[in-house]
Amino acid sequence: MRKKLLFSFCAWLFASMTLLAQNRTVTGKVTDSQSGTPLPGVTISVNGKAIGTTDAQGFFTLSIPAATKKFSVSYVGYSDQSVTITGNTIAIALKQADNKNLDEVIVVGYGTKTKKDLTGNIARVKGSDVANIPVPNFTQALQGRAAGVFVESQSGKVGEGIKVRIRGAGSISASNAPLYVVDGVPINGDAASGSSLADINFNDIETFDILKDASAASIYGSRAANGVVLITTKKGKAGKTNLNVNMQYGSNKPTHLRGFLDAKEFVDLLREAAINSDKIEGVDPLDPAQYSGSWLQFAEGRLTRYAGHTNWRTLETNTNWEKLAFNDNANSKLMDISASGGNEKTRFYISGGYNGQDGILFGNDFQRISGRFNLDHEASERVKIGVNLTVARTVANRVANDNQFFTPMQIVALAPITPVRNAAGITNDRPVTTYYNPLIELEASRYVSTTYRNIGSAYLNYKFSNNLVFKTEFGLDVQNQNDDEFYGVRSTVGQSTNGYGQSTWFRRVNYNTNNYLNYINTFKEKHFIDATLGMSFQDFKTDYTTVYGQDFPLDELKKLASAGTITGGSSTLTESSILSYFARANYKFDNKYLLSVSGRIDGSSRFGKENKHGFFPAVSAGWILSEENFLKDVKALSFLKLRGSFGLTGNDAGFGDFAHLGLWGAAKYNNTSGLVPTQLANPKLKWEKSEQTDIGIDFGFFNNRLTGEIDYYVRNTRDLIYDIPVPGTSGFSTQTVNIGSMQNKGFELVLNSVNINNKAVKWNSSLNISRNNNKITKLDGEQTIIPGNDGRYLNSLMVGQGIGVFYGPKFAGADPANGDALYYKADGKTTTNVYNDAGTFVVGNPNPDWIAGLNNSVSWKGLELSVLFQGVFGNQIMNGAGGFMSASFDWFDNQTKDQLDRWQKAGDVTNVPQLRLGYGNGIGASSRYVENGDYVRLKNITLAYNLDSKLLSRFKLRSARFYVTGVNLATITKYKGWDPEVNSDYRAGNNRNQGSDFYSAPQIKSITFGVSLGF
Amino acid sequence: MKKYIPLFMFLAVTASSCDKKLDLLPQQSVAEEVALSSDANVKKILNGCYDALSSANLYGGHVLLFSELQAADGEILWEGTYNEPREVYRKDILTTNSYVRDTWLTSYRTINIANNVLGSIDVIAAADKNRVKGEALFIRAAVYFELVKLYAKPYSVGSVTTNLGVPLILTPTRGINESNYVARSTVEQVYARILTDLTEAESLLPNTNGSYATKPAAAAMLSRVYLQMERFTDARDAADRAISVATANGKSLTSTYAAAFNNSTNATEYLFAMQVSAQDGANAMHEFWSIPEYGGRDGDVSIQAKHLALYAPTDARLALFYSGAGATRSGKWQQQFKVLPLIRLAELYLTRAEANFRAGTVIGATPLADVNRIRNRAGLLPLVIVTLADILAERKLELAHEGHAAADLKRLRGSADGFAYNANKMVFPIPQREVDASKGVIVQNEGY
Repeated sequence: MRKKLLFSFCAWLFASMTLLAQNRTVTGKVTDSQSGTPLPGVTISVNGKAIGTTDAQGFFTLSIPAATKKFSVSYVGYSDQSVTITGNTIAIALKQADNKNLDEVIVVGYGTKTKKDLTGNIARVKGSDVANIPVPNFTQALQGRAAGVFVESQSGKVGEGIKVRIRGAGSISASNAPLYVVDGVPINGDAASGSSLADINFNDIETFDILKDASAASIYGSRAANGVVLITTKKGKAGKTNLNVNMQYGSNKPTHLRGFLDAKEFVDLLREAAINSDKIEGVDPLDPAQYSGSWLQFAEGRLTRYAGHTNWRTLETNTNWEKLAFNDNANSKLMDISASGGNEKTRFYISGGYNGQDGILFGNDFQRISGRFNLDHEASERVKIGVNLTVARTVANRVANDNQFFTPMQIVALAPITPVRNAAGITNDRPVTTYYNPLIELEASRYVSTTYRNIGSAYLNYKFSNNLVFKTEFGLDVQNQNDDEFYGVRSTVGQSTNGYGQSTWFRRVNYNTNNYLNYINTFKEKHFIDATLGMSFQDFKTDYTTVYGQDFPLDELKKLASAGTITGGSSTLTESSILSYFARANYKFDNKYLLSVSGRIDGSSRFGKENKHGFFPAVSAGWILSEENFLKDVKALSFLKLRGSFGLTGNDAGFGDFAHLGLWGAAKYNNTSGLVPTQLANPKLKWEKSEQTDIGIDFGFFNNRLTGEIDYYVRNTRDLIYDIPVPGTSGFSTQTVNIGSMQNKGFELVLNSVNINNKAVKWNSSLNISRNNNKITKLDGEQTIIPGNDGRYLNSLMVGQGIGVFYGPKFAGADPANGDALYYKADGKTTTNVYNDAGTFVVGNPNPDWIAGLNNSVSWKGLELSVLFQGVFGNQIMNGAGGFMSASFDWFDNQTKDQLDRWQKAGDVTNVPQLRLGYGNGIGASSRYVENGDYVRLKNITLAYNLDSKLLSRFKLRSARFYVTGVNLATITKYKGWDPEVNSDYRAGNNRNQGSDFYSAPQIKSITFGVSLGF
Repeated sequence: MKKYIPLFMFLAVTASSCDKKLDLLPQQSVAEEVALSSDANVKKILNGCYDALSSANLYGGHVLLFSELQAADGEILWEGTYNEPREVYRKDILTTNSYVRDTWLTSYRTINIANNVLGSIDVIAAADKNRVKGEALFIRAAVYFELVKLYAKPYSVGSVTTNLGVPLILTPTRGINESNYVARSTVEQVYARILTDLTEAESLLPNTNGSYATKPAAAAMLSRVYLQMERFTDARDAADRAISVATANGKSLTSTYAAAFNNSTNATEYLFAMQVSAQDGANAMHEFWSIPEYGGRDGDVSIQAKHLALYAPTDARLALFYSGAGATRSGKWQQQFKVLPLIRLAELYLTRAEANFRAGTVIGATPLADVNRIRNRAGLLPLVIVTLADILAERKLELAHEGHAAADLKRLRGSADGFAYNANKMVFPIPQREVDASKGVIVQNEGY
């Protein structure tokens, strides 16, 4: 049936082609309307069919049907222009397109469309807007720039993962990350460590087109539920070869330090805590007779131990360990060279770049060397071929995840009375330090991750006729990563084994082919049709190999060749594939009424026979009211469009390749292999499905000086894949099933305005505000709550609440009578000092209600100032390390400054319970450790100076730009932790676990100076 | 139309060649039918069952650690930073404690694997069938014994036919349906099943079996169960059988006390031990009791003066303690990657002595002879007469910090840190996730 449909669709396509009638010749020249320079490679088309291009000098010669009265001219970066044929020679002056011009050509997946004709919601961010922002990962550069696109770096570690959510999270267990497509190839999203997206040099990127609603995204079917980011890299333009050189240097600092007790406070509070514990047990430790065996004796013993060779009683040492976690001399360096040019037949873009970012944490940095080669060639009138190729090498010095004693930030737990070095100048370790001293990592350990990445695609377009083009693409994404770890004899990992080394190789290769036909035609002047039909196949294969060993002769010999014993190794392979057929038809009547219908059939290896295939349709429509006669006279209104869409998309990623099978895997005991059950079967497993409805208005006022979009959407996701807890008595803890559903509802507002536009001064503003309301609408139909209190965090799943809400005990402060930590009982009014008797409440939501971005750019003569504010509102953050660092001195970890407000005597009203050593007074996970995470940040500020043309010509330059850029220079927040943009890396693998802080590094604040020269 | 023919051919070829690519199978796993299909495979499952048993959550250390922490009584101190073991130490456990949860889950995972072996026992070659079945029964019974000791009121409390034990699962899981929601059996029912399984295991198992379960190991485990039930003559007989079969097959006390610990392979004294090497296996007792110098954590458990005062100055067992990371440490768990002994012959001599004494019998040997055998190895002078208190004191010192503390405290109706043997807080909570996931079929313990 499917094949028959496909056939008849094609037959209809070809039957409707028209033949061309008699022709006449028209010649002319196309120039830039401002500078008058000729524009080569400009496309000239009649009724949407390209009939010619301009040559290197901007001239064209056309053979046009005699009956044709108009043709249109289009060129990248310029507004399309409709030209009425008067005479045989025509001069055309093209205007450069504004940033948000309605005639902009948007990439839509297997095709393009002008913004004016869009019926779905697609946000575009131009590469030039984010170029040279000193961050490793392009997703970080997109933060705050598009409505409905939420970006959050886990922490200030460089090269690590970044959370991107388009219109909220749709899934509990499967992936919530959008699909990234570079020049038509969906790219790998996984890595052995770090982020695979950091391999891309975003100075090579021309545009990001973010497909947000279902009608825009559903052409990507089963992988589009989380939105799609289409990345188009830069292409060459015919004409003189342009050479650009770009250099940057900057320095990185943490956005904020938290503040911990100093030596005096530490000693005072710890002794107080010990005395309090003694008193509970009826002991007065200040009485010499009762001192022996008291908590105080124990605590003072520890103080002596922690003071090392110094004396804690005189407060001889006062170390600020928190400061020592950071690298004082963190810099960023960037250098890029690119060249582009070509002629009418062949165009190229070549670039090479280096990006080096020192992390703010000691021992953390990231470097990328990358090259790109894009080539487009017109072999004949019918055949166009091209390649887009990038190679990159990234090297990252990583630090351990936030949950490891040897990660730099856990240094804050050490006692301020402990000297960094002992009398002999050697870095102190346990038992002098409270825990392993992470500074030893710098001297003793190494964790280098090196990735070679090659993303390439080649395409061939064959023009059967002016109406019908066949396009075939083949893409390959090869990612080779090696994580080389060595832990020397002084490190905590290598200490007992005389050093420990591990080498991990990760290779992920995906190949992809897209083959599709594109048909465009106009009937009777008013009926415009644009149709696409094709297929796609993609295969992902991941190899993983690791070897580890111990007993190294000396720390200088770090490779496994020097290991005395190879203690283990493993290799694994996993593969998945997806085969798809897709079709789309767009219809436009009289430039007013728009209709688009699309469908995609996906077959996936990830599901069993019963559910291997899925169908993902979408429909959308638009009405350009401003073209109607009754609005044509409204002068202020330049553009008005209503649009609506509905579609179905799927999600198949993020839960493994074989989740539907009942599996047994290898185990080992007594150095002999064994077999154990690893997974419960579920042959009924199927895709998650997302239905999205979007209603929007696009408008332009005052000759499009004020333009904008308003969207309202509802996205319902059902058949959520989730590992539901099963009775542990079954021998399993979870089973992967399709349960539940989730809803994201929200609205988005985008406003762009040209506030001032005269010869001297230009001032543009653009604002985006989005609200998203995420809620789980069904779990398994029986349970309405899957509580998640794991002792540190409270992220839970609850019907009617956002994913990962904090659900647990509500802290009621310290009992004014005795300093006990109090919690509200289930009635919400009375309190108890027994944690297990506390009621459970929703005490926070990690999902923001609102996100916003406001960008202003002002230029005056050669000066340009661009300021981006970005904000996140309505979310809460939970400090999972609260039970250690803000724990009323439950143990010996140094405490945050707020613990100074502890309860001390009857009548004290405070939120810090009485200090009690070893008594766990209020350290269970509760609202005590939940805080508001709202913030507004000066995300980006750039001041630039462009040399004027006189000076340029004196230095024989085409352009010269000097600039200074600041990132995260100011943050307004009430959050008391390091930084409100946080989600601890060790938990981030689970969608439910949001808003978690755990010794997570603050974000990077940087100032960078740069120069860009064009030759 | 002709010019499009190559295009259609291209599409047809691509599509059909790709369609096959949608049937992919995993490379690291096999389906259940394959796993349970042959003699060789089911024997591999049996080894997998030991692997689960040796997990840190179970016999890889936590079960032993919990026992010592519950019965600490000022003799040891949990001074580690992890607050979840500290909750056990303080007898103030949150129902969400992940250690409590993971021991539960790992126990039932082990039981399910054992049930898989037992369910497919017919594919095992006739010559090996008894051994394989005996090992699986031994493991299942041992795990139920640990579960009922941790998650239920002790046998010594009484009311065993009404006090709740743990759910008894005796068949392999083949999917999740109503039959997987199983309520807790009573303490008596759980003990009855343990006795049945261990008795059958003892009859099926061979006298020697490498480092795997043997007839003496099953008898030894039986003697522990009978001790908990205070069936002393049965305990005596089981201990005596274990001793006689073990010693007849080469087992003996090591020449020195220190030689009984920190071994890379089973010492002659071990009747059952978890195998650990640098490549494989967990030893969480080493992890928490040792110090960084020897690959441990920060020395999370320290030995207190109150305990050290119990030894005579010349006791070789006292000499095994060492100082490190600012406190006294147990030498039994000093070295990394060492075998973790679970049943030592010494225990059985002391069990036989106690049971003989209580029963007024001299089966196998006199209580005095058994006690002096242990004292002699510890470098102490022999006793001339022996009392029950002497035997129990000897047992405490000989088996100190090896995971016997809570079991002995509870059957002897003692108390620790102000908590009596029958206190609610001396019993673990049922993990909250289990109460939730079983939809309330599994009910929470009193006091939580």
